[in-house]
Amino acid sequence: MSTLFQQLVNGLTVGGIYALIALGYTMVYGILKLINFAHGDLCVLGAFIGLTVITSLGGASGSPEIWVVGLAFVAAIIAICCAGVVLEFAAYRPLRNAHRLSAVVSALGASMMIENGIMLIWSPQTLVFPQGVLPQISWHVGGVVITFTQLMIIVISLILMASLYLYVNHTRFGTAIRASAIDQDAARLMGINVNRVIVSVFILGPALGAIGGLFIGLYYRQAVFDMGWTYGLNAFIAAIIGGIGNIPGAMLGGLLLGLFNALAGGYISSTWQQAITFGLLIAILLVRPTGILGERVAEKV
Amino acid sequence: MHKKLAATLAACSLAIAPVTAMASGTVTFGVQAPITGKYANEGQGIEKAVKLLAKQQNADGGLIGKTIKVRVCDDEGKATQAALCARRLSNAGVFAVIGSYTSGAASAAQPVYARANIIQTSDGTADKLTQRGFKTFFRNAPPNSAEAKFTGNYLVNVRHFKRIAVVSDHSSFAKGLGDAVEKAIKANGGNVLTRAYIKSGSQDFTSVLTSLKSKHPDVIYFSGYYSDGGLLRAQEKQLGMDVPFVGGDANQNVAFAKIAGKAAKGTIIINVPAPENLPYKAAKQFISAYKKAYGSAPPSIYTLTNADGMRVIMKAVQETNSLDPNTVENYLHNKIQKFPGITGPISFSKNGERIGSAFQAFEIQADGSYKTIYPKQ
Repeated sequence: MSTLFQQLVNGLTVGGIYALIALGYTMVYGILKLINFAHGDLCVLGAFIGLTVITSLGGASGSPEIWVVGLAFVAAIIAICCAGVVLEFAAYRPLRNAHRLSAVVSALGASMMIENGIMLIWSPQTLVFPQGVLPQISWHVGGVVITFTQLMIIVISLILMASLYLYVNHTRFGTAIRASAIDQDAARLMGINVNRVIVSVFILGPALGAIGGLFIGLYYRQAVFDMGWTYGLNAFIAAIIGGIGNIPGAMLGGLLLGLFNALAGGYISSTWQQAITFGLLIAILLVRPTGILGERVAEKV
Repeated sequence: MHKKLAATLAACSLAIAPVTAMASGTVTFGVQAPITGKYANEGQGIEKAVKLLAKQQNADGGLIGKTIKVRVCDDEGKATQAALCARRLSNAGVFAVIGSYTSGAASAAQPVYARANIIQTSDGTADKLTQRGFKTFFRNAPPNSAEAKFTGNYLVNVRHFKRIAVVSDHSSFAKGLGDAVEKAIKANGGNVLTRAYIKSGSQDFTSVLTSLKSKHPDVIYFSGYYSDGGLLRAQEKQLGMDVPFVGGDANQNVAFAKIAGKAAKGTIIINVPAPENLPYKAAKQFISAYKKAYGSAPPSIYTLTNADGMRVIMKAVQETNSLDPNTVENYLHNKIQKFPGITGPISFSKNGERIGSAFQAFEIQADGSYKTIYPKQ
């Protein structure tokens, strides 16, 4: 029994990270009907910026330095928000009225540019996060081990998801975001600055992505320039499972995917983990072509 | 007019061609190694070692009077890229190739070099590398089967482990070594509790480890590479598992301890002696030259076995005074006897297998250094 709960804790941790990244895909898709393939690489860029801050300000002592980690998060979020806005201006805005495929190609190009940029700046090698910048505490609850890092990831992701949900559903600007997602022309006629909404989505998504990316780095204590593709793909699947364009869907999809991956790896075969994940995606799409929450909610964001 | 000119040019080039070949005082050694990617650390070590040896030899008057040139191709540790590298290097007319680091990449390149009659020396330890009948291939590190024999004896008869979990990734090297170790454990009358697999590079091994934990092994043996091994060890500790971790030879890299962090302490790695523990004169000289040239120690023993591969090829060229691949291959197969290598005496069997080399078990200390714990010294 403790094995099952341990797998659930492991799965929830990864699931929280997937959900944070998936939100970036789903929000952009909700407004622009565009899959932002560069999103996974933006998250990785966040991990690298965080790593640079941590190693240049501390990490040598081996004792917990919460403020350094906090600063790393702030720096990563600011940098990735800027990168997101630049991406929108340079790669997507000029193609706003072009064929949809052009924007997808532009997204793939941006993804390669960011990935190779990271490789050129930080080297192609696996970089290691210093140990001990976060408290090395773990709790044993009936045979299940939860580390401080895991708890931090689960709690912060849940808080962020809840805040985003409240922001989008209960504020004026959130209403504008939802309106732009339903009908951009009508929203414009109602006096909503749709371009500002689009920029805001390219700030919110990457901000969450940067946090997700830094979580990956802190949890596995590793960063490699090309890991954006794997995490991006998984988060993209999570967004589709939940119903792309739907914010609660991305959260649900991320958590489900993390749990499913852990259980499949633990009880069936870690060799087939990826294949099983894609099998799940196909099965869900066969039964519900728009994803789990895709149809129930009228407005898509 | 034009015809005449063309004919003259053709005649000229015909006349010149053999002359340039003889007068060109260079011989090219290829390096096929993972310069980028997961095993970049190892690949760059091999590149540096080969370039250093070439520089030393050139300063010494070259190889039988010819200047050594080095040409590097990055195979990223991938089989597909390795086949491309092999074509690129053979098109460039290299005499011999050092590499690659991974068995998978070395094996993909083997047939290309064999067809072009280019001598290849690799540290790839998968047993099948020397079983394919390529007379151009020389393994410069001991094979998996020798390591497996040592490991099986160590786990069962020395440490008396009763519930051994064998973990591998899906690379041809790790799977081959894992299979061989499993066989060796059984041959020693030991018990393999379970066989588990991880996906190399996937970073999250907690699901595999959690299901391992529920089976209560008394030791985890991992046959894969250091980048995954370090994480596996860290996550094992994170899950509160307190069983010894024994890693195969590819875990011996300075990066293992960095990745595993505090969890690295107590890890046991089975391999031929670490670079700094090699007792040979050639080793001390080469390592100090390497440190002087690059400001850091060689990343692992494989930098040195590959350097040995190059040194023994150069030795064969000098002894035979020939750059004919057949002559040199024949000399390497039959004549080289206990050549004093950096990693111990070198001889090759008829199928290009390196004969004789001693394995050891070392334990990683709190400061990341290695301490030999078996055989007792």
